[in-house]
Amino acid sequence: MKLLVQLLVNGLVNGAIYALVALAFGLVYRSTRIFHIALGAVYTTAAYGMYVGVKSGLGVGLALGILTAVLLSLAVEWGIYRPFVRKGSSLGVILIASLGVYIFVENLIALLFGNEVKIISSGIEPSYTFGPLILTRIQIIQFLVGFAITGVFFWGIKKTRFLKAVWAMGEEPLLLEVLGWPITRLRNAIFVWSAVLVGLASMLVAYDVGTDPHTGLSAILLGAVAVLVGGVDSLRGWIWTAFLIAEIQSLAIWKFSAKWNDAITFLLLILVLLLKPQGLFTSESRVEER
Amino acid sequence: MNYVIHLLIMINIYLVLAYSLNLVLGFGGLLSLCHAAFYGIGAYAYTLLAMHFDLPFMVALPLAMVITGLLAFFLGIPGLKFRGDPFVLVTLGFQVIIFSVLYNWVSLTKGPYGIPGIPRPEIFGFKIDSLYDFLGLTGSILILSVLFFLALYRSPFGLALKALREDERAAESLGKPSQLYLLWAFTLGGAVAAVSGALYATYVTYIDPTSFTLNESIFLVAILLVGGSGNFWGPTLGTIFLVLLPEALRFLGLPDTIAPNVRQMIYGTILIILMYWRPQGILGEFKIR
Repeated sequence: MKLLVQLLVNGLVNGAIYALVALAFGLVYRSTRIFHIALGAVYTTAAYGMYVGVKSGLGVGLALGILTAVLLSLAVEWGIYRPFVRKGSSLGVILIASLGVYIFVENLIALLFGNEVKIISSGIEPSYTFGPLILTRIQIIQFLVGFAITGVFFWGIKKTRFLKAVWAMGEEPLLLEVLGWPITRLRNAIFVWSAVLVGLASMLVAYDVGTDPHTGLSAILLGAVAVLVGGVDSLRGWIWTAFLIAEIQSLAIWKFSAKWNDAITFLLLILVLLLKPQGLFTSESRVEER
Repeated sequence: MNYVIHLLIMINIYLVLAYSLNLVLGFGGLLSLCHAAFYGIGAYAYTLLAMHFDLPFMVALPLAMVITGLLAFFLGIPGLKFRGDPFVLVTLGFQVIIFSVLYNWVSLTKGPYGIPGIPRPEIFGFKIDSLYDFLGLTGSILILSVLFFLALYRSPFGLALKALREDERAAESLGKPSQLYLLWAFTLGGAVAAVSGALYATYVTYIDPTSFTLNESIFLVAILLVGGSGNFWGPTLGTIFLVLLPEALRFLGLPDTIAPNVRQMIYGTILIILMYWRPQGILGEFKIR
């Protein structure tokens, strides 16, 4: 029982991280419809930026991590996505190009830093006991940061102009332009925000367990699963689903073992897509509304 | 010389894989990321049948095809309800799940330890043992599959798949049921991938799950995207090019520590450049949507 409670709380912590990744993936996917696999490269880059910078202090590490993530994200948007969109490429073609970017960056990082795991914080994290629970300091920070940021988005979805514009862009990009929104600047903002969100998630994880060049893809796929299972149209659904996936993984560890986590996550994806293709947290809408 | 023959054998094995994936990706127009899983299931099914039940090659191979084909059939029923991004993600899910099973079901597959000592095939009392024998075996299976796929690509079935790929609704209105045709393509593709798996298992005599990962699936898709798909020559060129690329890099004298990374970076770059200038691949006729 004690173990179960501990695992469920760990699930909340992981869920906060997954929610950040889901938001980062979802912002791009909902507005541009690009399946942004290169986001995995942004994820890994942030962790390595932090790894390089942290030698001259934690603040420098955080700043360098975010900076490299944002720069890579904008480079992908300007150097890859925009020329493809201008050429009128289909979304499948852009997906493959995005995969190409991911493969390139993943192996560039492996070439520069080696394949082994890099530890960022070498000391032992102080841990705190709450009754039967034990949480380390970094776990608490992970939860608070993830929870606070996803909370802002959770409540801001109906209120901020930026998120409204993101949603509108996914529906009718041309109309948005006609109404005087600068689409290119909006896209820049989207890619900056998604890099910041995924960079934070990546650095919080890397500070805890270290990083290697191949972590990005699986992290991003979890975010993509959360977005598709939660329902592409429902930002709150992404966040709920991110926490749900983390809790289900915790239950799976409790019931079986951690080695089945990936299989269970994807089984959940397939089942939900089959039974409720519009997503777990999207209400039925009339055809004309879509 | 042995090195050249080894490369030819690997090209033969990968050509069969590329032709079978071509049926789903090039003709059906579906970006499937679980082909390496079928390849792996074929290898494991053959190995377990051959080693546990002492079945000869000519019996174990068709059985492995049937098993993998059935699996593909039952995965295809739910999987083919999707198109576009959800289809990619669902087949990726199949890949991850099958890999997990191969890796974690230790009592059946020996998991990460792999299965060593897979017996060499014996056909009508003739033991296939040397490199040259294997070249003959994989070569003749390749010729059989080329004949099979050429006939299939040109058959009414292949043409119907092409029609579905171009415009699913229009083809359906002309009486080509998309789910049924695509399910057949998926099943046949899986069953033929099992042949490659079995050949690989008996050739290398050792298998473990790490040969059948998501990266391998991406590699197979890359073969079809680079060479092109939807016809016979695209997959042929793509296979030869991508199987030989690492060997070419070896001759450039790259140190072994960085060669795999440089190779992957070249794959990534080729994918980006091709998608921009020639999304149908070098010789292909199908552009991914």
